[in-house]
Amino acid sequence: MASLWLKLRAIPGWVWPLLFAVILILLPFIGAPYPMIRQVELTIMLALIVSGLNLSLGYAGELAMGQVAMYAAGAYAAGLVSKAGNTDLLFQLLVGAAAALVVGLISGIPGLRLGGWSLAMTSFFLILLVPDVLSLFKSETGGRNGLSGIRPATLFGEMIDSRTYYVIIIVVGILWFAAMRNMIVSRHGIALRVLKQSPVLASSMGISVFRTKLSAYAMGAIPAGLAGVLFANLDLFLSPEAFAFSFAMTVLAASIFGGSASVYGAIVGAFVLQFGMNQSTNFQEYGLIITGTFLLIGGVAFTGGISALARLLVRRADAAARAKTGYVEAPASEAIVERREGALLRTDNVSKAFGGNQALSDVSVEAKPGAVTAIIGPNGSGKTTLLNMISGFYRTDQGTITIDGQAVHGLSSFRVARSGVSRTFQTPNVPEKLTVLEAVEAGRYARDRSSILAAVLRLPSYWRVTRDDRIEAERALALVGLSEQRHAMADSLPLGNRRLLEVARSLVGSPKVLLLDEVASGLDEDEIEVLASLILRLRDSGMTVVLVEHNFRLVLRLADVIYVLAQGKVMAQGTPDEIENNPRVMEEYLGVTPEDEANQTGGHHE
Amino acid sequence: MTIIMSGLAIGAVYALVAIGYNIVFLSQKTFNFAQAALMMLGAFVAYMGIAVLGLPWWLVAIVAAIVIGGVAALEEVVAIRPVKDHHNLLVTTLGASIIMEGVAQLIWGGEPRRVPFFLGDGVIDLAGGRVYPVEIALVIVVVLLVVALTQYSKRSMTGIALLGMSEDREAAMLRGVNVRRFAFWAFVFTGVLAGLLGVLVGPKTYAVATLGAALAIKGFVVLAIGGFGSMWGTLVGGLIVGLTEALAARYIGGDFANLSVFFILIVILMLKPTGLFTRRTERAV
Amino acid sequence: MSDEVLLQVENLQTGYGDLQVVRDVSVTVRAGEITVLLGRNGAGKTTTLRAITGLNRVTAGEVRYLGETITSVPSHARVSRGMSYVQEGKRIFRELTIEQNLLLGGFSTGERKKKLQQHVAEIYDLFAILGEKRHLPASSMSGGQQQMLAIGQALMARPKLLILDEPSQGLAPVVVKEVLERIHALKATGIGILLVEQDVQDSVAIADEVSVVEMGRTVLTGPAEEITFGQIQAAYFGTAA
Repeated sequence: MASLWLKLRAIPGWVWPLLFAVILILLPFIGAPYPMIRQVELTIMLALIVSGLNLSLGYAGELAMGQVAMYAAGAYAAGLVSKAGNTDLLFQLLVGAAAALVVGLISGIPGLRLGGWSLAMTSFFLILLVPDVLSLFKSETGGRNGLSGIRPATLFGEMIDSRTYYVIIIVVGILWFAAMRNMIVSRHGIALRVLKQSPVLASSMGISVFRTKLSAYAMGAIPAGLAGVLFANLDLFLSPEAFAFSFAMTVLAASIFGGSASVYGAIVGAFVLQFGMNQSTNFQEYGLIITGTFLLIGGVAFTGGISALARLLVRRADAAARAKTGYVEAPASEAIVERREGALLRTDNVSKAFGGNQALSDVSVEAKPGAVTAIIGPNGSGKTTLLNMISGFYRTDQGTITIDGQAVHGLSSFRVARSGVSRTFQTPNVPEKLTVLEAVEAGRYARDRSSILAAVLRLPSYWRVTRDDRIEAERALALVGLSEQRHAMADSLPLGNRRLLEVARSLVGSPKVLLLDEVASGLDEDEIEVLASLILRLRDSGMTVVLVEHNFRLVLRLADVIYVLAQGKVMAQGTPDEIENNPRVMEEYLGVTPEDEANQTGGHHE
Repeated sequence: MTIIMSGLAIGAVYALVAIGYNIVFLSQKTFNFAQAALMMLGAFVAYMGIAVLGLPWWLVAIVAAIVIGGVAALEEVVAIRPVKDHHNLLVTTLGASIIMEGVAQLIWGGEPRRVPFFLGDGVIDLAGGRVYPVEIALVIVVVLLVVALTQYSKRSMTGIALLGMSEDREAAMLRGVNVRRFAFWAFVFTGVLAGLLGVLVGPKTYAVATLGAALAIKGFVVLAIGGFGSMWGTLVGGLIVGLTEALAARYIGGDFANLSVFFILIVILMLKPTGLFTRRTERAV
Repeated sequence: MSDEVLLQVENLQTGYGDLQVVRDVSVTVRAGEITVLLGRNGAGKTTTLRAITGLNRVTAGEVRYLGETITSVPSHARVSRGMSYVQEGKRIFRELTIEQNLLLGGFSTGERKKKLQQHVAEIYDLFAILGEKRHLPASSMSGGQQQMLAIGQALMARPKLLILDEPSQGLAPVVVKEVLERIHALKATGIGILLVEQDVQDSVAIADEVSVVEMGRTVLTGPAEEITFGQIQAAYFGTAA
């Protein structure tokens, strides 16, 4: 039983949905009745739209309901093209997808800048506008009366009979879901999931938050547009009522039910809603209540929908089967630190105020390649603020920050990351629903570029980058000693390992400058040892390491240069020996020697 | 004048939705998408009480306040309290709103029902235009409501606690404010308000099940223009949205009413994402 | 000086989620006395206070207040029982006026606004500058004044136990002295004070009892007069036995 399960699991995952699709294609040929065939057709269209929504809601983490407007755009584009005399379905699909894409880009650019409720409301508004826009162009679209007179579609000049049309719909579905699946399992899909978890983390890894969200939203327009074209050619009549608010709610409910953050959940959700609604006899009366209940229960009870439940079960079965058959993980790769290029990081007279609060004033720090530069200081002395300025999360009020002489202040955080600065966070920021290996691979996003198209079409560049990602990630995991946990879920790791995971992730993109923010806190003695020796090896390899830390002993042991910040200013700098014996450092930490304090008034803002 | 007054009145209705959003936003930093659906139910209760049963308007208002307050309490318990992930509140309050719409559809059908106004539905001549009494009443009531709410929040202990809570929930807790109970009653209050005002909103908008979605979005536009959390902002936002809609419909064409409002929304959100009346704070990492 | 024990924390263990910050902390506060809790940053002082006031969950150990275990009492109810906490970083309500801040400070007493206004007047007697600026937003004041407001706000709750987290943080030395003097003066009213500080010298000077926390554990504790500066330094830098 257990070994059979493992054999089944060894079959690539995409085989199952393909098998399902083949069965669907065969339906009309084994005598399925017409009403059922039509239900399946409508289901596939719904699934296409839902899958577009999933890209933005499930993966980019933004509720943007514009898909219905894009669906309408695709449908009307096809209808108008057909009325104008071009009945070729392939051409229409192209035009429909393009029309939907345009609507997606136009509505996405302002909406995505805002995010959250603003985006949701703007996109709801967009749906509300559909009938208005249609009636503006009444002579072409038929306005509220609907668009009639669409001519039957052709393919390569041949008329399409209803059975062929059914097959075409399924094939379009297969192609889209294959494309979507290829995208989601690629580094772009991982980048989206990182982004959903934490935009801050994503941009520190060199992912442009806005552009990535926009591409997800715009890509979601394509299936909606395709569904529109298929819909227009199914009934050869379009009415604005098909694109109403309530339809948008059905799409949302299907997404929530099937699981927004999944590829095939869209199909499950679409089937349940399409067939479920048709089954309940008084659907006309109870439809809204059912949809609403789906949303309510979906939002409260199962985050992740059916697909999350299924994944959980598969995972358990895997674990049980492995335990029974004595399955062994592949051995760790060797933990070598190769020669690395460091870069000179300098901040010159950097100042920053929040409101009236001077967080940093005239801070000049220099971190050299091949050295560990530590920044210490009491709470609120500005250590983390300084790191955030270097990573580009805050703008400098004054002063410059350079990396090898190149100014980076004023760059957005993802650009700073791309210029070779990598960092960890005080609270380990580990994305959900990723394995340890994937979470580390994500750290290479800014490193090699490979387009979404390359991922969808599986071009050679995709395979090359994916292979490199894997090799580098394995190596980084070996360095921090996490190789054995590579297939565990990243967010299930205990705190100490999560910190080490963050270090691995920040290393994997071969950064020039590594910023470690209180990376030792919460680690036990053994973990601190792993970390300490790793930091020293990285230093020896030539990297620039900046350590913000309040474990004084660890700092004394690791640092080559120590900067002491107090009240936003550099109070002392020097070697560990100098700092340890500096009376003013004692004073700042312990508050002794009051006679000195009277002289030190410049930095206070009273 | 006819157009301006009609625009102001519909703007006042949007502002009422925005006020509801604001109260919930201040108390728990979230939005209740179903706010407009609560008002829609309020309008239906008003229709039932006044048009069907012929009860006196003040009695209807009180009954509606109790009923809709109860619905809001139910919504809080079912759709807000159990939700762990803040992000999901978008979906659950939307779900609550759709359920309310479905229930209204089931009970009263899809046709709009006219709700008579208790001060009469005759047209009044005002400054050269023709104006309905309910339109004047709406504008006056919404202004009074904003004044009353701002004064109450500044002066009463409850109001101060609410303001404190909206600024820093944890700090308010440490001053002895039971923040969860406060948030609950603030939520119920928005329902009471929606019920109470049904006798005013109904005559202007008619009682119709589909009222919710449109009002919800326009109310949000008002909030986006006026600024999240700003009570005075709702008046300005209501004014802008109501007038834009009425003037666009009159002078450009009915199909442009929503488009114009949408255009203003986009422009304002792009220029000043936090609204006209709130200050921007630098994001924290 | 009375011997009444207000607060007794024993072997406290707490943190954030699965991050164990406090592993074994014990501290006692008596009525009319000041207990100073010292430690480097990250040692677990603030987290200890958050567990005492109910903001963080206690995973092991005990928090006894007025002779009762209060682990399951919600934060807001602890305030009503006379436990008043001034968080670090001058955490006042910046958008409210000074007077509103103070009124809100008295919220837990359940008294009417009229009555509270009389108490507010007493606070103005104590901190004159607050009275002068009463109708201005709190954000308009300087750091030292905001700290006074935070303390005044906490006093409005008429506490039996006043908990102060680094009231000297970010203040000029002259102001630190003033703040600490004010705190010392409060002792005379009979309330117990738990003071968290990084600034050793000035805070130990006003303390009756001293505890040092290091890596989430109490490493040194005892009456202020018996503890030497050398012991504290050793505890800070991890050379304590």
